[in-house]
Amino acid sequence: MRIVIANGNNGADYIIKSFKGHSHTLIIINDDRDVAHKLARNSKLPVIFGDCTKVETLKEAHIDGADIFIALGFRDTDNYVACLHARKEFGVKKCICIVQNPKNVEIFKELGIESVICSTESLLSSILAESSLEAITKTMSFENDKIVMSEIVVKPNAVIAHKRIMDINFPKEGSIACVYRRPRVIIPNGQTLILPKDKLFVLSTPSEQKSLIAFVQKTVKK
Amino acid sequence: MKRSSVLKNKTIIVGCSSLGSTITNKFSIEGKNLMVVDKNPKNFERLSDRFSGYTITGDVSDLDVLEEAGIASAKEIVIVTNDDNLNLFVAHIARKIYDVPNIYIRLSEPDNEVLLKGMDIKAIYPLELSYDKFNLLRGGRK
Repeated sequence: MRIVIANGNNGADYIIKSFKGHSHTLIIINDDRDVAHKLARNSKLPVIFGDCTKVETLKEAHIDGADIFIALGFRDTDNYVACLHARKEFGVKKCICIVQNPKNVEIFKELGIESVICSTESLLSSILAESSLEAITKTMSFENDKIVMSEIVVKPNAVIAHKRIMDINFPKEGSIACVYRRPRVIIPNGQTLILPKDKLFVLSTPSEQKSLIAFVQKTVKK
Repeated sequence: MKRSSVLKNKTIIVGCSSLGSTITNKFSIEGKNLMVVDKNPKNFERLSDRFSGYTITGDVSDLDVLEEAGIASAKEIVIVTNDDNLNLFVAHIARKIYDVPNIYIRLSEPDNEVLLKGMDIKAIYPLELSYDKFNLLRGGRK
């Protein structure tokens, strides 16, 4: 594969090392003269010094028809423009873009960059994946722990998403007391439609809590 | 997904550099409903006494700042920071997410025009314009 590595410092160095020698052709571009020298020295590969967001630099680097373009710069907007040029002007098949601002992950996708990675967001999902159920769902108990209230977020691919409460067959052991849909608080009835990102406040006994959380969080199998 | 709002009556100027402040000062005379955004509050000192709009200090590469500036209710947005890449990003958000009716953008790099194709975003190239004017003044001599 022909892989373009645009900007970045230690991250670029690491990726170059990982790909080198696996029958890939690497095209390395960097806009920092010192970093460009360092990457060239470490990888023993040619490095093009230039601004990756400029068409003339990308032309000089001959990135036409490359398989992957990885934008590793420190400024989200620079990475965005570099990826757009790579795809539109040079027909690069896949663009991967690093962003610093987690909010840009969704925005970049909405603007047409298919692969967006944010280290802060990845860190957050790792923490969430590592942590126990209690960390994802907040719990409050009443009457000496005889009643619990669980706060559960509806995932985008949840089975119950986009369905009315009357149609989801909610377990009798619990009750949806309240739905929080930013910025509104909804006191639900059977007609209430559940949407992704809704926060459900579910009342139950402690023994049923786990199965109710599992019910809300059950996702559609692909 | 487009997030459009009902009443669009605001003019947002992104970047209060010399070009941004000049446009804002001219618009102030016309009595437009103005909102100026810049990450450096010192740049607002360029605005004239007649300016009666609002200013926001913030980095427009953050969507929250654009929302605070009221992009959802903008009828036009004039994006004139000194950074082409930032300008393109904001213009694309204005078109694809908020569908602002009129979008104007400042670009230094003519090669970037291709990224506006089919998006109904109007570009101005101050450097090219200055050069053309200069060339005109010297009678087109080479």
